[in-house]
Amino acid sequence: MSSETGSGRDGGFGSYIADPGLAEGGLARIAWAERAMPVLGLLREECASKQPFAGRSIAACLHITAETAILAGVLTAGGGRVHLAASNPLSTQDDIAAALASQPGVFVNAKTGVDRETYYAHLHRALDGAPDLVVDDGGDLVNTLHADRPELLPAVVGGCESTSTGVARLRQMAAAGTLAFPVVAADVSVTRRMFDNGHGTSQSVIDGLLRATNILLAGKTVVVAGYGSSGSAIADRAAGFGAQVIVTEIDPVRALDAIMRGHRVLPMAEAAPVGDVFITATGSRDVITGEHLAAMRDGAVLANAGHFDVEIDVRALGDLAVRVNRGIRPYADEYVLAGGSRLILLADGRVVNLIAAEGNPAAVMDLSFAAQVLALMWLISGEAGLPADLHPMPAAIDTEVARLTLAAHGTRIDELTAAQREYLASWRQGS
Amino acid sequence: MPAEPVPFKVADLSLAEFGRNEIRLAQHEMPGLMALREEFGGSRPLANARITGSLHMTIQTAVLIETLVALGAQVRWASCNIFSTQDHAAAAVVVGPDGTPDDRRGVPVFAWKGETLEEYWWCTEQALTWPDELGPNMLLDDGGDATLLVHKGAEVEDAGLVPDSSDDEPEEWRVVLGVLRASLATDPLKWTKVAGQILGVTEETTTGVHRLYEMAKEGTLRFPAINVNDSVTKSKFDNKYGTRHSLVDGINRATDTLIGGKIAVICGYGDVGKGCAEALRGQRARVIITEIDPICALQAAMDGYQVSRLEDVIEEADIFVTATGNLRIITAEHMSRMKHQAIVGNIGHFDNEIDITGLGRLPGIRRNTIKPQVDEWIFPDGHAIIVLSEGRLLNLGNATGHPSFVMSSSFTNQVLAQIELFTRTDQYPLGVHVLPKQLDERVARLHLDALGVRLTELSKEQATYIGVPVEGPYKPDHYRY
Repeated sequence: MSSETGSGRDGGFGSYIADPGLAEGGLARIAWAERAMPVLGLLREECASKQPFAGRSIAACLHITAETAILAGVLTAGGGRVHLAASNPLSTQDDIAAALASQPGVFVNAKTGVDRETYYAHLHRALDGAPDLVVDDGGDLVNTLHADRPELLPAVVGGCESTSTGVARLRQMAAAGTLAFPVVAADVSVTRRMFDNGHGTSQSVIDGLLRATNILLAGKTVVVAGYGSSGSAIADRAAGFGAQVIVTEIDPVRALDAIMRGHRVLPMAEAAPVGDVFITATGSRDVITGEHLAAMRDGAVLANAGHFDVEIDVRALGDLAVRVNRGIRPYADEYVLAGGSRLILLADGRVVNLIAAEGNPAAVMDLSFAAQVLALMWLISGEAGLPADLHPMPAAIDTEVARLTLAAHGTRIDELTAAQREYLASWRQGS
Repeated sequence: MPAEPVPFKVADLSLAEFGRNEIRLAQHEMPGLMALREEFGGSRPLANARITGSLHMTIQTAVLIETLVALGAQVRWASCNIFSTQDHAAAAVVVGPDGTPDDRRGVPVFAWKGETLEEYWWCTEQALTWPDELGPNMLLDDGGDATLLVHKGAEVEDAGLVPDSSDDEPEEWRVVLGVLRASLATDPLKWTKVAGQILGVTEETTTGVHRLYEMAKEGTLRFPAINVNDSVTKSKFDNKYGTRHSLVDGINRATDTLIGGKIAVICGYGDVGKGCAEALRGQRARVIITEIDPICALQAAMDGYQVSRLEDVIEEADIFVTATGNLRIITAEHMSRMKHQAIVGNIGHFDNEIDITGLGRLPGIRRNTIKPQVDEWIFPDGHAIIVLSEGRLLNLGNATGHPSFVMSSSFTNQVLAQIELFTRTDQYPLGVHVLPKQLDERVARLHLDALGVRLTELSKEQATYIGVPVEGPYKPDHYRY
C-alpha cells in the first residue's frame, strides 16, 4: 500500500512511501548508521551553524538507505529542503523511507519494488521541488530534468553525480553541449575511489554474494568482469577468501595490472565454462551474454556489482531456461537450462551489494557523502564559478574529506616543516 | 688440540676470514644453537662422540658443527650436494675460530662448490674414514648418502663382490659402485667395521627419512635412526618457511626475472610446495599446483590455487619448480614443449625430479652456460629453456639455502637428537624414531625470545581442563599443527 503523507504540508509537497508505520524501526537504524558516519556528523555541526543551504531546494536521486538518511539530515541541518527519489526500486528500504518522511524538510518518493513508470514518476515528483541543486546516482535524475523538465533548468546552480555510470552519461551530455549546469563528478575523487569503490563496494559485494548463497569461496573459481577500482578490489578479496580469480577486461592497462597482481586474465568466452561464481563490475553492458551463459557449469552463480542491470543478459538467461525456480533463497533465482545445468542469478542481475546485502558500509558512504556535501556547499556559495560542464571533484575537497576523517578517527599525522616545504619546492624547480 | 694438522680438502683456505665473519653474523640469527652451547658447554654431553656429518657445507652448518664441537664431539664433514658448499664456510670450519690457514685448529672438512660425482663420493668416503681404526660412532645425515654408503658397503662386503652396473642406471650409482669396488679391494671389511661402531644416525630430510623407513621395513637397517625431519620445528619451519625465503632468492639471483605476473607451476604441495607457492604468490605470480595426493590437491584448491596436470599447463607457464621428492616429474619431452625462456628448477632434495640426462640426449639440443648454475638449453627449432643448478636444489645452488634463523630451528633438533641417541642409546632400539614432543617444543621455546615473542602460560586450572601438564607437551602426537 502506498501512502501519501502530509498533502498540503510544506507548500504542497508530500511523500510517497510504502508504510509510514515503519518509521520507528527506520529511525533506530539511522541512529545506528550515524555512529559509523562521524565525518557527516562534523559537517552537520558546520552546516547547522553556517546555514549554507538556507532556503534552497535540493533534488536527490539516491539509494534510500540509512546512510542517505544521514546525508539528508546534514542538508536539512544546513537549511535546505530535500526532495528524494529512489535511484533503484529494489534497493529502497521502506523503513528508512518512512523514517525520512517523518523528518521536517524531507520529502521522499520511494517504495521498494515499484515498476519503471512509478520510478520515473518519483523522479518527477522530486523535481517538482524546483531544485537549486541536484544530487544524482546513475544520471537518471539529471537526464529526466534535461529531457522532460527544461523549464526548471535555469534555476539549477549545479549538482553532483556519484557513480561512474552516471558520470559517463553526463560526459556524453557535456560533449553534446546539452548539459545546462556544472556537475561535479564525485566518482573520480581520490577518497571516493579509494574508500567507496575500493574498500566499500568490494566488501559489500562479497557480503551480498555470501548472504544470498552461503557459498564457500575457498577453492572456487571466481570470475570478475572488469578490473577497475571496484573489480580489482573484489578480485583481491575473493583471492583472500582462497578463491582462484579469473579477471576479464577490455582495457590492456587494467588487464596487465590484474596479471601483475597474480590473477589470471581470460576472455569471458573462455572464463565462462570454468567459473563457479561470476561477478560483473564493468559499468558496461552485455558483459555476460547468452552464449556465455550456455557454456557455464552447473551451479554457476551470477552476480552484478555494476550500477545497472545490463551487465548480465538476464533476458537471454530467461530465453535459455526451460524452468525458473524463483526465490530458492532470498535474492537467488535458479534458471534450469535445457541441458540440465542450473544457473543461480542473484538480485535479478541488479546491483548485488545493495540488494542482497546492505550496500556500502556506512563508514565508506560517510566519506563519499561528505565530499558531495562539500561540493554542494562550494557550488551554492558562488565561489565555484564553474561553467556548465562536467568537473572533477576539486583536490581541496578530497584533502578536506581525508582531514575530517582522520580527525574523526583520532589519527594524527606529521606536518611538513618549513625546511621540507622549501626542499620540495626547490626540487620541483629542478635546482 | 689435535697434534696432527687438520686434514681437509676445500677450495681455498684464504676465504676463512670472510667465512668467520659470516659465521659470527649467523650465530646471532641461530639462537637455538647458541642456547645449547650455553646450556651444555660445561657438561659436554657429546664428549667421546665421533660424528661424521654429510650435510650442505654452508655458514649455518658451520655454526652447527662448532656447536657439536662445543658440546664435546669430534667431527668430520662432507657436503651432501655437489653445488651447495659455500667455500668460505668450509674454509672457516677447517681453520677454526682460533686458528689461521697456516695453523688449522678446526674440523676436517671435505667439500667444495662444484664437485664432480667422483669427487663428491670421495669426499663422503673421507668424512667416514677416520684416521685410526676407530670410525665414526654417530652419523648426522642429510638425504642419507653417508648412511647409504655405509649400508651398501657392508652389504657388498657381506656378498663379497660389487654388482656390475648397467647403462640404464643413473651415472651416480656407477660412481658409488666404483667407490665400493676400490674399498673392497683394499679393506674387505671396512664398511662392516664402520657400521658396527655406529650407535645411530640423525637424518635431516624427507628423502633420507624415506630411505631409512624403507630399510627398516626390509630389515636391512644396521643402526637406530632419529627422523629429525618430522620434528614440527624442522619440517614445518625449514621445509615451509625456509623454502619460502630461498626459492625466490634463488630464482632472482639466477635470472633476475620479474616474477610478478608470471605463471609458475609448483609440482608437489607438501610442506616445501606450500612454502614455494606462498612465496611466488607473494611476488604476485599466478601459481598452478600439480599433485598426486588428493588431500594435498584439495588443500591447494582451497588455498586458491589452480590444480592442473603438468601436461595441460606445460606450454603456458613461465616458471617450473619441482618439490615432490619423487623422480621423473619433468621429462625431456615436457621441457621440449615449454615456452621460450621458461625457467626450470628443482627444490626437492635429489636431482632426479627433472630429467636433465634425457634433456641432454635430445637430438640436436645445445647447452649454453650463461653463468654457473644457469644453463640455457637450446632446442633444434631455436627456442630455449633456462635450467637452474642442473636440476639440483636451486635454493642452495643458485642462492644460499635456508636463512640462518630457519636452520637454527632445524639444527637445534639435530643437536638434541645427537645428544639423545648418544647419551640414551638404550632408549632407541633398531628402527626409525622421532624426537619426543617435549624436545620439539623446547626447540621452539629457544627461538621465541629472539623474536620478541611473549608466550602465555597455562594456569594450573586451564592445564587440568585440557588435560596437559603446565610445562607441556601440549598436543597429542598425532596433532598436525
